[in-house]
Order: sequence, then C-alpha cells, then structure tokens
Amino acid sequence: MTCSLDDLKAYAVGELTRREQTALEDHVRACGSCREELERLNLMRSALATLEEEELPRRIAFVSDRVFEPRWWQTMWRSGPAMGFASAALLAGAILAHGFVRPVAQGPAAVDTAQIEQRVESQVNARLDAAVAKAVAVSEARQSAEFDKTLKAVETRFQSQLQAQSATVQQAADYYREKMAQFLVASNEGSAR
Amino acid sequence: MIFREVEDRDLIAKARRGHVEAYNVLVSRWEKRVFNYLLRLVGQREDALDLSQDVFLKAYQNLKKLDDPAKFPAWLFRIAHNEAYSLLRKNRPEGEITVEPRMAEASGGMFPIETALAVRSALSRLSDDQREAVLLKVYQGFKFEEMAEILACPVSTVKSRLYTAFDLLKQTLAPVNTGGSE
Repeated sequence: MTCSLDDLKAYAVGELTRREQTALEDHVRACGSCREELERLNLMRSALATLEEEELPRRIAFVSDRVFEPRWWQTMWRSGPAMGFASAALLAGAILAHGFVRPVAQGPAAVDTAQIEQRVESQVNARLDAAVAKAVAVSEARQSAEFDKTLKAVETRFQSQLQAQSATVQQAADYYREKMAQFLVASNEGSAR
Repeated sequence: MIFREVEDRDLIAKARRGHVEAYNVLVSRWEKRVFNYLLRLVGQREDALDLSQDVFLKAYQNLKKLDDPAKFPAWLFRIAHNEAYSLLRKNRPEGEITVEPRMAEASGGMFPIETALAVRSALSRLSDDQREAVLLKVYQGFKFEEMAEILACPVSTVKSRLYTAFDLLKQTLAPVNTGGSE
C-alpha cells in the first residue's frame, strides 16, 4: 500500500471498510510520515471533541394539528393532479354559469325601480284586459249566434203552427159554409111546399 | 441504534396519521442535534432556535413526502441545511467572509474551555461549505452518502470539502493540541 493522505483522513472519520482499515493500519506501522499525519488528525479530532453541545434556550413543541397543518390551498397547490382537476372544475363551472346567467345590459345610471315596476304592471294589466275583452267578445258572438239560431227556429215553428191553424180554420169555415148552404137549400125547399 | 431507528419509524408513521404527540417525541429526540448544527452554522442562538422551529414545522408538513422513514435524519438535516443557507444568503452578501480573531494562536497550556473557544474560532474561519462538512461528519456522524444527500452534491465534493477543512483545522489547532498535550 502506498501513502495516501485521503485514506488517512477517511480512516480518521471511520469511512474505510474493515479490509481497508487493516491494510492502512499495516501500512502506518511501517510508515513514519503516515503515522505522524495520523497522530495530527487524531489530535485535531480530540480538539474538536472538546466543543460540547449546547442546550436549547426553550423546547420546541407543537400543540395541535390546526396550528401547523398545511392549509387546503397549500396541499392543493403542491399537488399537480389536484390542481389540474381544480382548474378543469373551475372552467366547467364558469361555462355552466355563463349558460344560465346571461349578461344584463346596463341601463342609465339612475333608474327608478318603482317606475319600472309600475310600467311593467301597467303593461301586464293592458295585456290582461285585452285578453279578457277578446274572450268576452268571442263568448258574446257565440251567444248571439245561438240566440239568432233559436229565434229563427222559434219563428219557423210559429209559422208552421200558424199555417196549421190557418188550414184548420179554413177547413172549419168551409165546413160551416157547406152546412149553411145545405141549410138554406133545405129551408127554401120547405117554404116552397 | 437499530432500536432507536425502529422507534423513530413508528413515531414517523404515527405523526403521518396526525398524532401530534408522536411528532413531539420525535422533535424532542432531534431538536438538540438540529439546534447545535444550526448554531454552529449561523452563529447566533436566537437565529438557530428560530430556524430549528421552522425546520421541524416544515418537516411535519412534508412528512408524507418522506419515502423511506429510515432516511429521516438525512432528510431532516437537508431541510435544516436549506433553512440555514437561506438565512446566510440573506444576512451575508456574496463574497463577504467573516473572520474572527485567531484565538488558537494563544499560548499553550490551555484548559478545555479555552480549547473549546479555540475550536469554535477555528471552525468560524472555515468557509460555510467546509464548516458544514465538518459539522455533519464529526459532530453528527453522517456517512459520506448521507452528506451528499443533505448537501445535494456528489460524494467527491463532500470529501473534498471535508479534507480541505481538516488540513486547515490541523494548522489552526496545532498550537492548541501541542499546548494541551504538554
């Protein structure tokens, strides 16, 4: 084995395998300069070991999850798939909302809502009145037609009855006229005898 | 160590299901190591404590992203490394180097407390990258592969930083060692 300062340093910090350690120890026993270097390294390590660890001024402790749990948006932000899903959901929501809620044209700055309500109400009433009037007119027309039809039927039946009665009266008149003639004839024949 | 690792795994599993107390136990096990690592990296106790709290908060929030619970230590120190460097970049403009007085150049025969001060000074003279390599290897005991994960760099870079730091520390601390051994 040849002299290697790096191997000596690795040996000093315990980074050699057992086989490498054995080989280096054999070399150091035979090499004065490497032995001196290893002693310097060990002295340095001894000096470093005098530096003791300090105590904390106060303990570190956590009291509850809520205090230091990552926020939902931090979790979301750190998660690529979740962020992608959220973006897609947001976009879908925006499209859906746009479909239901049309943008309303902006009117004059100062609008009297009471006036608008009154105007709308009057328009509604006008349309309602027109519809009612139309319905009434249709109904009246239908009733008038039915009345005319009924009147005509009554007149026709009355004329028929009148004609029938006239015929009966005519027959009766003819009958009495014939009887009268027969009576006169008989009477004349009696006076002649 | 194996027993401890199994226990940490259980605590991590419970903490993932929202058991705050399980996570607090995990924090109590690691807070001192994380705090000292950050303290030696940023140099200020209040900064190190604030960073430690941030580290454990972020660790909890991202616990479900930890694929292998056995890698929790390296993963935790990776978070700590990021937090520390965010602060260092904010506080220290590019290229500015903090140099503290060379206390190690004091005369020999030091007491342990003086040696510790000399070590602290020697560490502060290293670059951030070199100092962090020393902290992770010498004080936290991470393997080169784990250090590479924490620092997000190749193992060869980790070795280079650590070995360069060792060369500098040997020179800086030599009078201290000599003095201490006499």
